[in-house]
Amino acid sequence: MISHQFALIRRELWEHRSIYITPAAIAVIVTLGVLAMLVLASGFAKELDLAIFGAQNIAGDAERKAALTGFFVGTSWVFLVALMFLTVFYSLDSLYAERKDKSILFWRSMPATDAETVISKLLTAAIVIPVVTAVGIWATHLVNLIVTSIWVSAKGGDAGMLIWGSVSLFDNWFAALVVVVASGIWMSPFIAWFLFVSTWAKRMPILMAFMPPIVLGLLEWIIFRTQYFLTTVGERGDMTPLFHSMSLERFFEEEEWREGVGNISLLEHIDLVGFFTSTGLWSGLLVCGILTTAAIYVRRYRDDS
Amino acid sequence: MTSLVNARGVSKHFGSVRAVDDVSFEIEKGKILGLIGPNGAGKTTLLKAVLGLTDCEGDLSVLGFNPFRQRKQLMQNICFIADVAVLPRWIKVTQLLDFVESIHPNFSRPRAEELLKQTNVRLGAKVKELSKGMVTQLHLSIIMAIDAKLLVLDEPTLGLDILFRKEFYANLLNDYFDEERTILITTHQVEEIENLLTDVMFINDGKILLDASMDSLSEKYVELLASGEGAQKARGLGPIAESEMFGKSVMLFEGVSRDHLEGLGEIRIPSVADLFVAKIKEARR
Repeated sequence: MISHQFALIRRELWEHRSIYITPAAIAVIVTLGVLAMLVLASGFAKELDLAIFGAQNIAGDAERKAALTGFFVGTSWVFLVALMFLTVFYSLDSLYAERKDKSILFWRSMPATDAETVISKLLTAAIVIPVVTAVGIWATHLVNLIVTSIWVSAKGGDAGMLIWGSVSLFDNWFAALVVVVASGIWMSPFIAWFLFVSTWAKRMPILMAFMPPIVLGLLEWIIFRTQYFLTTVGERGDMTPLFHSMSLERFFEEEEWREGVGNISLLEHIDLVGFFTSTGLWSGLLVCGILTTAAIYVRRYRDDS
Repeated sequence: MTSLVNARGVSKHFGSVRAVDDVSFEIEKGKILGLIGPNGAGKTTLLKAVLGLTDCEGDLSVLGFNPFRQRKQLMQNICFIADVAVLPRWIKVTQLLDFVESIHPNFSRPRAEELLKQTNVRLGAKVKELSKGMVTQLHLSIIMAIDAKLLVLDEPTLGLDILFRKEFYANLLNDYFDEERTILITTHQVEEIENLLTDVMFINDGKILLDASMDSLSEKYVELLASGEGAQKARGLGPIAESEMFGKSVMLFEGVSRDHLEGLGEIRIPSVADLFVAKIKEARR
């Protein structure tokens, strides 16, 4: 079962190269953007000795730490948005494309069950893509810290203190990993819905995936004048249990690091206990289980191959 | 003889249409069975039932397994080529070998690579870069490298030119088939496989019209090419089919002794294709 999962997930990575090309492309774009920013900062503001990530005076502790953390959080969000699109398109395509090109007949001629195949696609979307995204985030951070360090050193600054000493690298990296992996698990009911649509839709799975919730929401509004359904679906995107103690306002204004005590810790703002004990997580996993079972059932029983 | 496939009262219906209608048959080890029928006769549905790709009514056992309920176990000992176009176009040949090696316990990669060396298929190529014939060679190389007890081929040479078709069957017979293996094959190109077959089964409207060994066909069926008085007398013996060729009557007899036909015209062994056409026409009368 486990060796089959490795083989099936590796197959997904072969087929869907966007899983690693997208984070790599974002990493390159962000790095080029940072380089451009550094060059522009020196070109248009000659009076500034050092400027990194939008902070024009990095001599100040708070500004520098805020700039570095802002860069960390900002790039991570770019990756998270890309992760969302990647996951939606991957999930919708994964069980549809094999029917479209009839390769399902080949895959089903191998001794792997429909359950193993569908679960491999769920694991790819909910775990593998987030982990690859986290690696992309780490690589982007690392490369850009190195680039910025070279820049700062070239300007005569102490990169060791100004850059590497001003950021809790492993703390933030671990936080990024936790957030992206938790987002995959948290969003698993949506992933399972997309997988179900992918195996069920005869054509245009993207339309089939988004139309029913929109129609359901509209019907609720027309009949009851309420918006519980769409609000519930929309609010799930906040991942509230994971971040419930975090507020951006407090984050940038009230924290200890403004007083020069320690560096910013993103991990401190993540509530893993709250996440794993939230009803939202477990009810989501239940929905994920039901929809995954439905996807397995449809792949096994439908006979349009 | 050991029975690999055992079907008793197998049916499959789609709504009111009975694609397979109460069929019973056995396939024994070491046989090459041709399943022959017109379009929509129920061949593919029957094959899907054998492969566990679709559920069916009745008792169906393949290698001792219920094919639908125990498909994973079944697929370790059974191979099938559903159509030459089913290999994923995006995959590289090496990736395909890696995948099958990691998922199939009875796959021999060295054997597959050895077979591929005899073709023009490059290991680094993607399937979409290969011609249709090369894709078939690739698929066949993979299948032949799997130590399976039953090989199911559904129109395996569809769309291929004559050279590839001949090569396909030659490879199958020379490099794959032995008394431990069994092949179940469907094709429209009956003439090309009739020399390969040990057994034949005709299916029409979901029912089996004929299930016999090739050896028994020549004993049971006789074709007579006759004209004039000979033809008149032969007609009295009740041919199951009659057609005209070059001004002569071609009659097909079932269960009529050759002794009775001696002197009435030229006696021949009917081809499977002629027999098939005759049986289908007989069933539709």
